[in-house]
Amino acid sequence: MESNLLLSQPTTGSHLRALFAIARKDWKQYWRYPLNAVSTIFQPVIWLAPVYFMGKAFSVNGQALGFAQYSGTSDFMSFIILGAVLGNFINAVFWGMGYALKNDMDAGVMESNWLTPIPRLLILVGHSLTNLVVTAVTSLGMLIVCGLVFGFHPTGDVWGAVLAILPMLIGLYGFGFAFAALVLIVREANTMVDMSAFLVQIFSGTDFPVTVLPKWLLPIALILPLTYGIDAARGLLLNTNTLLAIGTEIALLIVFMFVMLWFGAWIFARLERRVRIMGTLGQH
Amino acid sequence: MTVQSTTLTRSLARPTFLSGWRALWAVMKREWMIFVRYPSWVIALFIWPIIFPLSYVLTAQALSGRDGSGMAQFQAVTGVQDYIGYIAVGTIIWMWQNVVLWNVGFALRNEQLRGTLESNWLSPTWRFAYLLGSSAPQLLSMLMFLTVSAIEFVLFLGVQFQGSLWLTLLTILVAIPSVYGLGFAFASLVITLKEANAFVFLVRGIVMIFCGITFPVSILPDWMRPVAAWLPQTYIIHAVRSASLSSDGLPAILGDLKALALFGVFWLTVGYLVFNWMERRARRTGAIGQY
Repeated sequence: MESNLLLSQPTTGSHLRALFAIARKDWKQYWRYPLNAVSTIFQPVIWLAPVYFMGKAFSVNGQALGFAQYSGTSDFMSFIILGAVLGNFINAVFWGMGYALKNDMDAGVMESNWLTPIPRLLILVGHSLTNLVVTAVTSLGMLIVCGLVFGFHPTGDVWGAVLAILPMLIGLYGFGFAFAALVLIVREANTMVDMSAFLVQIFSGTDFPVTVLPKWLLPIALILPLTYGIDAARGLLLNTNTLLAIGTEIALLIVFMFVMLWFGAWIFARLERRVRIMGTLGQH
Repeated sequence: MTVQSTTLTRSLARPTFLSGWRALWAVMKREWMIFVRYPSWVIALFIWPIIFPLSYVLTAQALSGRDGSGMAQFQAVTGVQDYIGYIAVGTIIWMWQNVVLWNVGFALRNEQLRGTLESNWLSPTWRFAYLLGSSAPQLLSMLMFLTVSAIEFVLFLGVQFQGSLWLTLLTILVAIPSVYGLGFAFASLVITLKEANAFVFLVRGIVMIFCGITFPVSILPDWMRPVAAWLPQTYIIHAVRSASLSSDGLPAILGDLKALALFGVFWLTVGYLVFNWMERRARRTGAIGQY
C-alpha cells in the first residue's frame, strides 16, 4: 500500500530549532580550530604591511597628500584598514559560504542532511548566520590589531556606518546562496573562488579609491553594489569623498539587498534541483 | 613438523645509481601528469601575474595623487622612476616563493593525504627522489609563470625592461637553490606538523613584510632591517629589479649574487638534512601514515 502522507510534521518551531542546530554546529566547528581564527585576525597585518611601508615612501611628514586628492583624507591607513575589514566579509562569503555545502559534501553529511524534512535553503541560512557572526567577531579583532599596529582613526559616525553596511552584508550573503549552489555544481572551484574574491575586492575599492581605476575599468567598479557600500562606510566613518550622495548609496544598497536575497534563493533552487536530477549530491 | 624461521639481514633490493634516476624520472612524470590533468592552472597562469601586482600599482597611483606630488616624493626616497616595474618585480618574486611553499612544501603532505606515501616509502628507492621529483615540474611551471608575467607586464602594465635578459636569467638561476631549499625544508616539516597552512602564512608573511616587495628596504625601521638582511628573498628582489629594470650591469648585482649563492648552499643543505631527520623520525614514530 502506498502512502502519500509524510511522517514528519514540520512547524515554524522545528525549523527554528534546525536553524539553531546548524548554526551551533558550525560555531563549535569553527572555534575547534582556534589557529584559523588567530590567522584570520593577523593575516591582514601581513597583507597591509607592504601598503603601509609603500605609503610611507609616498608621504611627506607622515601625510599622504597625494592620496587626499583622490579620497579626501590623507589618513590612507584608516582608509585601507576599513577596506580590509569589509574585504574580510567578501572573502568570508566567497570562501566560507561558497564552500559551505561543498564542505558538507566532503564530510559525507550532505546527502543525509538533504533527506531531513526542512527547507533546503534553511541549511544555507544556518551556515550564513554563523559565518556572519564569526566574520564580525574576527573583523572586530582585525580592526583592533590593525589599529594598534598601523593606527586607525575614525572621525565620523560609527553607528551610521554600521547601519549603512548592514544592507550590503545581507545582500552579499544573498549572493552567497547563489555562489554556494554554483560551487555545488562545479565542485572543484578553488581557482574560481580565489580569483573571483580577489577581483571583486579590487573593483569594489577595498585597497584604493575606485576613481584611480582607468576609465575603461571604472564601469566594472560602478556596477558593483559593494563599491557603494564600502564608499558609504568610508564616507560616514572617515569623512572621505563619496561617489554619490551617501543617502543615494544607502538606497542603492537596500535595493541590492532585496534583489540579491531573491536572486540567491532563486539560483539556489534551480541549481539544487539540477544537482538532484544529475544525482551528484553525494559525489565529490 | 618444525618450521625454521629465517631472518634476512640483507635487503633483496638492489638499488643502483640508475634505479635512483629512474625513480626520480617516474615521480617527475607522475607530477607532470597530475599538473596538466587540472587545466585551471592555465587561467591562473595568465590572470594572477596581472591582478596581483595591479592592486598594489593602483594603490601606489592613488598615493601619488592627481598631480603626481606623492610620486615625486617616492622617486626622491627610492631613486626609482618606473614604480610599476618596481612593484611588479617585487610581487612576482613573492608569488614565486608563495607557490613553492604551497606546491613543493605540500608535496609529501599531499601524498600522505592520498594514502600513497607509506607504500612509496617501502619501495627500495632513493627517498629524496620523491621530493626532488615533485619539485622539477613545479620549477618548469614557475619558469613558464615568470616568462608569462614578464610578457604581460610589458603588454598590460607598460613596464619597460631596460636591463639585461641574461643577467636576469642568471639571477633567477642563482636564486633557485635558496627558494627550493626552503621548500624542501618546509615539505619535511609539514610531514611532522601535519596541518601547516598557518606556517605557510607565517613564512610568506615574513617575506611580504621584510623583503621590500613594494618598497625599498631602507624605509623599514632600524630593528627590521637586520631581519631583511638574513632573508634571501630580499637579495632576489633587489637583484632581479636591478638586472631587469636598470642598465647598471653585473657590478650592481654582484653582491646580491654572492649572498644568494651562499644562501643557496645553506638552504639546500638545511633542506636535505631536515628531510633525512624527518625520514628517520617518521620511521621511528610510525608517523608517516598518520594524517
